[in-house]
Amino acid sequence: MKKYFWVAKNTWEETLTYRFNFLMWRIRTVVLLLSVYFLWHSVIPEGSRLFGYTQNMMLTYILLTSITNAFVISTRTHEIGDEINSGDLSNFLIKPINYFLYWFWKDIGDKAMNIVFSIAELTILFFILRPPVFIQTDFTFLSLFCISIFLAIVLYFFVNILLGMIGFWSPEVWAPRFIFSIILGFFAGNYFPLDILPNTVFKIFEALPFSYLIYFPIKIYLGQIGLPEILNGFLLMVLWIGIFFIFVQVVWRKGLKAYTAQGR
Amino acid sequence: MKKYLKLWYMYSIYTSQVGLQSRFGAGLFLIGKFLRFGIFLFFFYVLSAKVDEIAGYTFWQMIFIFSTFNLVDIASQLLLREVYRFRGYVVTGSLDYFLIRPISPIFRFLFGGADILDFPMFITSAILVIISLFHVENVSVLGIIAYFSLVSNALLIALAFHIFVLAMGILTTEVDNTLWLYRDLLQMGRIPTDLYTQPIRALITFAMPVGIMITFPAKALFGTLSPFLILLSFGVGFGFLIMSYLFWQFSLRRYSSASS
Repeated sequence: MKKYFWVAKNTWEETLTYRFNFLMWRIRTVVLLLSVYFLWHSVIPEGSRLFGYTQNMMLTYILLTSITNAFVISTRTHEIGDEINSGDLSNFLIKPINYFLYWFWKDIGDKAMNIVFSIAELTILFFILRPPVFIQTDFTFLSLFCISIFLAIVLYFFVNILLGMIGFWSPEVWAPRFIFSIILGFFAGNYFPLDILPNTVFKIFEALPFSYLIYFPIKIYLGQIGLPEILNGFLLMVLWIGIFFIFVQVVWRKGLKAYTAQGR
Repeated sequence: MKKYLKLWYMYSIYTSQVGLQSRFGAGLFLIGKFLRFGIFLFFFYVLSAKVDEIAGYTFWQMIFIFSTFNLVDIASQLLLREVYRFRGYVVTGSLDYFLIRPISPIFRFLFGGADILDFPMFITSAILVIISLFHVENVSVLGIIAYFSLVSNALLIALAFHIFVLAMGILTTEVDNTLWLYRDLLQMGRIPTDLYTQPIRALITFAMPVGIMITFPAKALFGTLSPFLILLSFGVGFGFLIMSYLFWQFSLRRYSSASS
């Protein structure tokens, strides 16, 4: 297990090596967050309610997307496709290391750095904007929020691994990721809570795995979902994790058979 | 002029051929761009079902500003895509090869590779501008003239910024992050800059003139922009262009050709 800890630590240090790149990435994240924040700030004036949200609830939702993204969405697995295409995967196949655990811990290193920055950014924004935010004090909701974040991390990891394995069959690994990132931003609830959508559309979104990555954990934090619905959501998340886990194993085995170590 | 137009045409044909080499990838990128466009329109549509106005802007005025943002953003990507490849020329030393040719190097690095994949999105944005224009009330001929003049001014600022990126690229070899930061800041113009509070509003109106590029043209069309601000916009546009060109000449004099 110690070797995987070093993978996470190395990823942390690697990010620090290219600190300007990382800093620019974080600035970009804040810029995008600000435009969504100010849009909702204007759409729901203070003291009014829209789509069932007061201004402070909506702004809390938007600001929390930043920290939830740092926990769940930040990842290094987008490098897998290139690793397969360049033939560098061979290096891992002959080493006494579990390839999936290696990437999981690499992700942890990356997430840790993003979390630190996200907290710092939100603190700065809090002092500049003085947003009316909702602080959850109920320990049950906070604990359930943490559990949902953990399940979302695992679920998103398997989805990403699957996307990376496109590299076994195609050199086009960036175009599918581009589409995926657009779909993810919308379907996961990055720009707005999904329950503002028409009920039929919302029901479809709710059945998909994406809504459990951002929308569902934040709704738990806000205390806007009852306990039975939360447990039902957890059950669905575990089910999706199981499905993606099996799918990843099958695709990995088939992918290895197709792998030619081209480029080495 | 004719020589440069012919050159631009040839560069565009060659880069389009490269871009379309993988039709699968090109198709996916195109779908992604349309998807992103459609998602935001859908989002505005959902909002319009419950809200009549956002900070004094009607639904169609919001759509107009959004489509103006897309028009300016896509036009600069379509025409100035070569800037995204500039870093490679600097770090490999290929820059020398372009400097000794009998054509303006700045022309080559700005317009040397139009991105054909942006063309369908450009047309779509232009169509949306026209559609939303018909739904905006109290539009005058003068407003339309002011709008197109200020959109041209926005493209001038975009050009100036890309020249600035090229100059930065020579001095620091840093291109990608600066470009992406510009793109993200420009994205703040998807909504009117009036929606932002100070000091962010001032920052994105004058320091990085997103407001001048996107919100001001739309406000000129709505008839809510003062003549002074229209004149100021042109002043900022030309000022940016002159400064970035001087910066480009300054950086070129300091190019050491270290990688070649």
